[in-house]
Amino acid sequence: MNFQIPIGPQHPALKEPIGLRITVEGEIIRDADIRLGYNHRGIEKLAEQKTWIQNVYLTERICGICSHSHTTCYVQGVEKLMELETPKRGLYIRMLISELERIHSHLLWLGVAGHEAGFDSFFMYVWRDREIVMDILETISGNRVHYAINTIGGVRRDLDELQVKRILDSLEVLRRRSQYYLNLGTTEPSFVARLARVGYLSREDALSLCAVGPTLRASGVPMDVRKDDPYAAYDEVPFEVCTAGTCDVLGRTVVRIKELFQSYNIIEYLMKNLPTGPIAVRAPRRAKPNEVVSRYEAPRGENLHYIKSNGSDKPERLKVRAPTLGNYAATIKMLKNGFIADVPLIFAAIDPCICCAERAVALIDARTGQEKIMSLKSLKELSLKVSPTTTRKREIEWPL
Amino acid sequence: MNDQFLIDKARENLKEKIVEITNPARRRIFLEVGIDDLLASVSWLKNDLGFTHLSTISGVDLGETFEVIYHFANNYCCLNIRVKIPRDNPLLPSICELIPGAILYEREIKEMFGLTVQNIPDGRPLLLPDDWPAGNYPLRKDWKYERPPEVIPGGEK
Repeated sequence: MNFQIPIGPQHPALKEPIGLRITVEGEIIRDADIRLGYNHRGIEKLAEQKTWIQNVYLTERICGICSHSHTTCYVQGVEKLMELETPKRGLYIRMLISELERIHSHLLWLGVAGHEAGFDSFFMYVWRDREIVMDILETISGNRVHYAINTIGGVRRDLDELQVKRILDSLEVLRRRSQYYLNLGTTEPSFVARLARVGYLSREDALSLCAVGPTLRASGVPMDVRKDDPYAAYDEVPFEVCTAGTCDVLGRTVVRIKELFQSYNIIEYLMKNLPTGPIAVRAPRRAKPNEVVSRYEAPRGENLHYIKSNGSDKPERLKVRAPTLGNYAATIKMLKNGFIADVPLIFAAIDPCICCAERAVALIDARTGQEKIMSLKSLKELSLKVSPTTTRKREIEWPL
Repeated sequence: MNDQFLIDKARENLKEKIVEITNPARRRIFLEVGIDDLLASVSWLKNDLGFTHLSTISGVDLGETFEVIYHFANNYCCLNIRVKIPRDNPLLPSICELIPGAILYEREIKEMFGLTVQNIPDGRPLLLPDDWPAGNYPLRKDWKYERPPEVIPGGEK
């Protein structure tokens, strides 16, 4: 017999609000359904009412972890619309921040994966090292989360010699420790046993369901926007696209740890070849009527902004596709025929960044398995209707 | 595979189905087709050229018409298929048969612009709340958000 279990929008196993409705048969998940919208903020509509420069700060607030990803994607699109030539030093600083962001996001994810797998000392070790990256970001931009380094035409803050030296010194520590995590993550028997063969997503499914980022690369598809469609100065920097062939959570872990090393190499290259010159150019207030598709490889995968201008100082349309949305269809596939205990692990493995979920409450009649969805309003009405007939606590006759 | 190769291939295979094809920047191709030729174009793109990755579907409200853009990508190029549909009869065929990963984007565009997606496998609302009033499509240009008056529970009537 099938049962449906609602998980979320607020649930201890999930870090952010999302509604999952899972049909189980015993311990096995037979079907899964995702409901978004819990935290929908209407940013695309809002962006149409703000100027080009205001939107830089609006897009920064789409996400709290990949805040730089969204601004970079937006800003490089707007620079194309305004036909600006960003100075090389500005591009290098932008790339530096995006790689630092990738490192801190992947380290954060590794910690969460350790925690979900029941390996909490791993979680604490990794998050200790994440602080090194956060400190670098703070010295460069003044902020830990919303770096606000991008502006249309370049970046807002320059680097000095001392900062460069400090970044290079920190890389040594990070490299050494990441090597330890790679050994641990791939050889520690209980950790590997927990992750291997969980959340299987075959190469064909990953392609047909349009998965992105490490989820796609862990299914053996070498797709990375930095390589396929080089933006900023990624065509000058040597790096490799990391893939894994195991198609499971273990593969996604390995891909992310390997990407950490690639990011360290990229940062080292950027710091040793930092060009001199200005960091930004002046941007006009208006953009000619045109359209642009801007793509960016965020830590979670491909981020896409479609920007259309109409000649005024505000965009006609700004479409944002965050990488997590691209991975939901694949997540449903991964959850099917898995165990209910694997839900948090599989769900965490796509590194979800949710600004979404549901406003309804799912009521399930356990005896018939029938499900009713009620909105909060009708639920409240029901409670008001039921309460006059039920005996109040103070009216109950004390049994003793 | 480069931009010119793709444009030549498109001209060769789609012929008169192409309304317009532009190449505004390197690795960006915009291909406009009629609404009836959408499925044929997507199927050609997927089967002959191997574009399996649909990045997203964008909608733009142009007043009299809606513009719908399907952003496809592979390892070489980002190819965007554009269709225009009239506002008074906004019918769009579902491409989920060909690209199963398109489902969330179709559900999003359906509720945000009020398009009717034909043969959509799952047409429930995705982002908007269940008690959202019918006929309100937030991303249409004529839709304005009005903040409802604030009512403090138990406050002054």
